[in-house]
Amino acid sequence: MKNFDYARPQDVQSAAAALGKAKGSRPKGGGTDLITLMKSGVLTPPLVVDLASIPGLSGVSRLETGHFRVGATTTIAEVAEHPELARVARVLTDAAATTATPLVRNRGTVGGNLCQRPRCWYFRNLDYVCSKKGGQTCYAAEGENKYHAIFENVTCNIVHPSNLAPALWALDATIHVAGPTGEKSIPVADFWVRPEEDISTENVLEAGEVITGVSFAPEGASTGSAYHEVREKQSYDWALVNAAVRLDFEGEVVKEARIVVSAVAPIPLRLEACEKILKGQKFSDALAEAAGKAASGGATPLRDNAYKVHLIEKCVKNTILDAARRAKVRSGEPR
Amino acid sequence: MNADSVTGSFVLNGERKTVAYPEHHTLLEVLREECGLPGTKHGCELGECGTCTVLIEGVPVLSCLVLARQCEDQAIETVEGLESAEGLHPLQVAFADLGAAQCGYCTPGILVTAKALLAANASPTSAEIDEALSGNLCRCTGYRKITEAVDLAAARLRGEDRALPSLSELCGHPHGDHSHE
Ligand SMILES: Cc1cc2nc3c(=O)[nH]c(=O)nc-3n(C[C@H](O)[C@H](O)[C@H](O)COP(=O)(O)OP(=O)(O)OC[C@H]3O[C@@H](n4cnc5c(N)ncnc54)[C@H](O)[C@@H]3O)c2cc1C
Ligand code: FES
Ligand code: FES
Repeated sequence: MKNFDYARPQDVQSAAAALGKAKGSRPKGGGTDLITLMKSGVLTPPLVVDLASIPGLSGVSRLETGHFRVGATTTIAEVAEHPELARVARVLTDAAATTATPLVRNRGTVGGNLCQRPRCWYFRNLDYVCSKKGGQTCYAAEGENKYHAIFENVTCNIVHPSNLAPALWALDATIHVAGPTGEKSIPVADFWVRPEEDISTENVLEAGEVITGVSFAPEGASTGSAYHEVREKQSYDWALVNAAVRLDFEGEVVKEARIVVSAVAPIPLRLEACEKILKGQKFSDALAEAAGKAASGGATPLRDNAYKVHLIEKCVKNTILDAARRAKVRSGEPR
Repeated sequence: MNADSVTGSFVLNGERKTVAYPEHHTLLEVLREECGLPGTKHGCELGECGTCTVLIEGVPVLSCLVLARQCEDQAIETVEGLESAEGLHPLQVAFADLGAAQCGYCTPGILVTAKALLAANASPTSAEIDEALSGNLCRCTGYRKITEAVDLAAARLRGEDRALPSLSELCGHPHGDHSHE
């Protein structure tokens, strides 16, 4: 690993100021992604600004508005094991619990999970100067592409690696950001940057900007949510396909549906075609099946990943069924 | 001490340790190179094997992905810290009794991960043991004996007098690692 300066500021403003000054410097949460990329030389920040020791940036709290806030340096393990979050944002705790391994979850943070870089082996290998690293070619287009994107894969074939991103989008969360010019709040839907807009990044954060936390409304009395993924091994693996679903019911009718995936496209993707099939309809297994079928609409698989087309249909369907089942259980609960 | 060296201080296996190290070194490097504790192993260096696991403030984490700079004043425990004046830790004894280590490369990481599990849960089920250890790869044992050894150590720590399986039971184990005619 190349040498770098290391700063451990005590507040977010100092962190943002330090990051804004040295070009290419990076904030650090748990370091579980950043340090691997620094070891391989893909990232060579002159300065690493550690957010981990900033007081107040970690933990789960309830705001005056009734919304829940999860601090940026809260660990994934803390989210996964949080009993209250499991009641009000099950899709998020499920997504956290299936992330990586217990040892990664003990250190990896919410902010770092959202901003982690893609796992594409061409991107992570210094020998391939792929388009994402400033070159001319996406090597995955013609190369080994078993784990790559089947949607929106025109310029770049990465998949977004974050489990928490689709879950937070299903919750319609807001991402809170602090930077050299102050603070702002970004709806999670507007946080992502398509490769066609700027291939060098996956999100809208500018130099010096850091996530301070995320917030979202708790699930209501007729809401159910779920996160499912399919992977090759029970532990360790990134999702081959995944789905985060939140359904709001009025009686038997689906009032609102949010369905988001990440492991099949360069940035998290909301599947509005599937949502449309559910919305305003009386829920049934057949309806979930039809919505699942629609999940593969517009897919453009590569040589080695056509299997994902079938998997995404099943995964979306099963996640919808699970979310609906949970909504039913909940509405039977004493209010 | 060269220009890029820093001096750090943390509590290592119960004793305050002050040590100079290159400022960009990971905790794993500092433990092995500057602290002279080679029990914690170098594996993938990418968070994918778990053999570098140590406890920081009692929590099992991957020392290959922790910057030593971040460990100032924290309590760090490595496999070398398991043995006490009374002898080997019950986990170490159980691993030896049941043959839960073969090449032993994964063992230091597994022992400290298991120690953290037992500190939080004195009576884990085998599913809970498997889940807690699901970030620690073992290329040799097939995991079965590791789970059994953690279970045995937990029982002994609870004060239960659990008999060891007989040699024939051990050898005839369907998931054993050596094939027997
Ligand atoms: C074996 C293995 C399996 C894995 N499987 C999965 C999986 O299935 N699903 C999944 O989602 N992830 C998976 N991961 C990735 C893991 O979840 C991430 O490494 C982790 O979430 C990153 O969090 P961190 O705090 O360590 O981030 P860091 O490594 O500290 O940072 C990651 C990136 O985000 C930036 N960053 C960090 N914090 C902030 C902030 N607050 N604001 C702005 N930028 C920030 C950093 O500059 C860096 O670029 C896996 C990792 C490993 C090693
Ligand atoms: S050396 Fe493999 S996880 Fe650290
Ligand atoms: S005993 Fe050899 S890797 Fe586990």
